[in-house]
Formats: sequence, C-alpha cells, structure tokens
Amino acid sequence: MHLDSAQEKLLRGEGGEARQLAMEILAKVGDTVGAGSLVPIKSAHVQADYVGLHDSGIELFERFSDSGGSFGVPTTVNPASIDLDRWESFGVPAGFARKQNRICKAYNKLGGIHSWTCVPYQVCNFPKAGETVAWAEPSSVVFANSIIGCRTNRAMAGLDVASAILGLTPRFGMLLEEERVAKVVFTAPSGSFSDLDYRSLGYLIGKSAGSGVPALDDTPRGVTSDDLKHLGAAAASAGPLAMIHYVGITSGSSSLEKAAGGEQIERVDVSRSDLEAVGSELNQTEETPDLVALGAPHLSVSELGSLARLLEGRKMKRGIDLFAYTSGQAQEMASRAGIRADIEAAGGRLARGTDADVSPLKAMGFHVVLTNSALLAETLMAEGMVKVRYASLRDIIGEVST
Amino acid sequence: MNSRAFKCKVLVGGDSSGGALFCRQAFAFDRAVNPRTGVVADVRSGMAGANIRGKVLFYRQGKGSTAGSSWLVEAIRLGNGPAAIVTEHPDLAAVVGSSLAGILYGRAIPVFSGIDTRVFAKAKVGSIARVKGDTAEVVLAG
Repeated sequence: MHLDSAQEKLLRGEGGEARQLAMEILAKVGDTVGAGSLVPIKSAHVQADYVGLHDSGIELFERFSDSGGSFGVPTTVNPASIDLDRWESFGVPAGFARKQNRICKAYNKLGGIHSWTCVPYQVCNFPKAGETVAWAEPSSVVFANSIIGCRTNRAMAGLDVASAILGLTPRFGMLLEEERVAKVVFTAPSGSFSDLDYRSLGYLIGKSAGSGVPALDDTPRGVTSDDLKHLGAAAASAGPLAMIHYVGITSGSSSLEKAAGGEQIERVDVSRSDLEAVGSELNQTEETPDLVALGAPHLSVSELGSLARLLEGRKMKRGIDLFAYTSGQAQEMASRAGIRADIEAAGGRLARGTDADVSPLKAMGFHVVLTNSALLAETLMAEGMVKVRYASLRDIIGEVST
Repeated sequence: MNSRAFKCKVLVGGDSSGGALFCRQAFAFDRAVNPRTGVVADVRSGMAGANIRGKVLFYRQGKGSTAGSSWLVEAIRLGNGPAAIVTEHPDLAAVVGSSLAGILYGRAIPVFSGIDTRVFAKAKVGSIARVKGDTAEVVLAG
C-alpha cells in the first residue's frame, strides 16, 4: 500500500508513539487486504465492551491513551458490557465492572463521544451520503452503507480505534464503487410482516448471500427505519455482508437493474416457510425464560413506546426479568414521556448504554433468554452458555406477563 | 499417504502446519471459541469440543460482531490460537486479528483465502494441513 510522506513520518514515529502504533496497524491491514492507499474518514464508531475486547483489548486501548493518543475525528462508541451507572443492581460482578471501566477511562482520555450505543445514527453520529467513515458494529455498518448512503467497511476491533486516531482508513472493499454492486437479489414474501419476520428475513439473507452484496426486492410496504435496523443487524450476524440494496430505498438503487449495475443476477425467492425455518433454527428450547432481552441493536424511543403500550395493564410473571436495552438519549426521552415509568410499572427495566449481546449474562445469573433479536440469538447460540428462545414481541409479552 | 495441494491467496504470510479443523459454513471467533482454553463452543460449527490451539482452521467465510478480531488476538496472546487460518472468502476478523497479534505480541499467524470450496466436502478428520506462504499453497495430507 502506498503511504504519502506525512504517513511515512507517522510510521517512523515522528508523530509520537500512539500515532505510530495506529499507523502500523493501518499499514499492515491495508497491505494485507490489498488497499491502494489510506483515505480520510469523517467519523469513527468503535467497540469498547470488555466481553468483546478481553484483556488484550484493554491493553491496546491503554497503550493508545497512555502514550498521548487522541481521536483525530469525531468518534462514537458501541455499548459497554455493563450499565455504567447501575451495573451493581443488574448483578454484574465487581471485578468485571472494573475491567469495563478501564476501557471507559482510556476511551474518555482519547476524547471519544460518550454515545455507548450500537445505533449511533439514531443518536449523534449521522454522516452525509457519499462520505467515508470507519465504523465498527456490523448492524451500524449495514445501516450506514444501505440507508445513510455513506461508505464503510466493517471496522474490526483494533482497526476501528487506529482509524479513529489517524482519521484515515485503508481504501478497499465497500469504499470502492465496484465492490458495492449487488450480486444476488432476494425477494420478500407478500403480506404483512411482524417484527420477527423482518429479523428472520435479514438472518436468511446474511446466511445465504455469500461474500457478495445482496439486494432485497419487494421490501414490505410500511417498513420503518427501525425495522431495517433490525433486518440489517440480523443479516450481519449471520454472514459477512456490509450492505443490502433495498430496491427503491437505498440511494442509487431506485431499480433492481441499478442496484446490480445493469447485470443479470441470481434471484432467491424467500417464502413464508423459509422464515419459519429461521424461527426454529434460532429457537433452542421450550423452557421458561428467566430473562427477556429486548434490544441488540438498541431500541429507539418509539420502540420503547410500543413496548410500553403492549405492557399496559400487565405485570411480569415472578422470576422473569425484562430488560429493554437502549441509549442514554432514548432513555432520557422515554423518562420524560412517562414511557419508562410505564415499563417499570409492569416490572420491566431499561438498561442504558449496554446491550445483551455484549453483556456477561451467565455471570449475571441468567440461564434461558427469550428475545426477538436474531442477532442476540445467534450470538448466544455461538457461545452456548445460556439457552436462547426466539419469538415475536407480541408472543413474548403474552407469555411472560399477565 | 494421500496428499493434495491447493493454490490459495496469501493474506498474512508464513509457513505453518497442524491438524486440520473444518467448518463447512460461516464462522466467527467471537463467542464461538473460548480464548482461555481454545475450545470451540458453537455446536453448529461442526467443530464443537475441538481445540483450535495449534490447528489449521478451515472455514467458508466470516460473520458476526466486529469484535471477532479481538477474540482471535486474545486466544493467540494466551497461547491458544490456531496455527493458521484458511478460508474460502477473505475474513476480515482473521486478517485484523492476525495483524494485531503480530504488531502487539510478535505472533502473527498465516491467513490464506480462496481455498477451493471442494475441500470442505472432502474434509476428513485427522488430516494434517501445511500452509506455505512462499508458494501460496495449502497441502492436505491423510
């Protein structure tokens, strides 16, 4: 990969230790993926949860922050592994919280924005179409490329922070026009879509699309940006994709022909029974849950509102916790609107700035998790430390409350 | 002993060898491998219970969280990383994880992509795999 003279200087250490390490990472990864050069980014979104980063991730964060590093572009952060203010009341072991707090401290020293959310675009980081960014968190990456129309690869942990420090990222993959062309098109079945249908459709697309960018034709009418957030998250959890062309929605993809760059591409018709098959695949057990986890990605304030309406006049059954995972900003709005009080009156709780897919659920004492998030189901099944059940929000509330 | 060579694309170079472990689908290090032991947890991977330590790990493509690179770095740091990774489609988690392990701990592992998809159908338990960076080859024996 070509480095210009300023970048060469950073690599030699002339910009200090932190920027030298960041440049070493970008140069190495850039060479490895066959990038031609480094290009400027407008923002970064990084991962800083202890469940994902481990001790080596703490070391890397602290190496940057202790050697005078600072973020060179506006940088937001994905959820922490704990509710940063109320972790004790959620049953998180103190030793675990200390590890998470070391990462938080380093992140703060680097000058990051305290978003602690997997939906930065619903909170405080909304790029313009056509801009290049370096975002971690695959669900955000899919939303960025497909809905916002900016460009980002999946900035893997380590690459994300290095990109944020230098305001640069290797030019490859989704940053290249030719890599963004749809190679396969999925068609959605007709009829109305439940919350679970969107997630199952996303999961199926992610699993079946291979390494190419897929398109989705016949996106159900009335689809909301929250629906697309969950669809994209499910897709990214099941495969390596970083973008979905929603025909008629994605910028530049007003028709299938445009999405596919004028080429004839393979077509996969998704049926209702395909969606049901995903449902059974992600359902491991029929056991009674001890946790209902709603989030992954974070619920918006309007989703919290829908949840409050579903819970109206109901009470959670004994022995079952319900956590609605959200951003600090959405929690604030939900509190002012009385939504939070309604959810709490029914026995639920808001968990702020953290999410179930990055939490130590087993250490917090849970065994069977019920969710409508395909991403969460996928994540928990991979580890196998807690059992997982997957159902629609309506069915979940009907089962766990009276 | 039967031996077959496959041409690949070298992402992270080097020579290495070990027992071959095959996953016939997408694979993610996050959650699916315990970095403290190297043991594969994901029952859907076809490798559950196996230890990736010192093995040559074959899978089709990546998936899952962007933390995948960190889970791999942690496994390598604790001495439980694979000897090499070979995939059909390039996996960014493997690329970034190995690169970071090299920069931070001097322990990059070879990462190859572009392996012939037929290798997964013919995969046999007990095969030994040798990856050769110079010739961009993966040799499977047994």
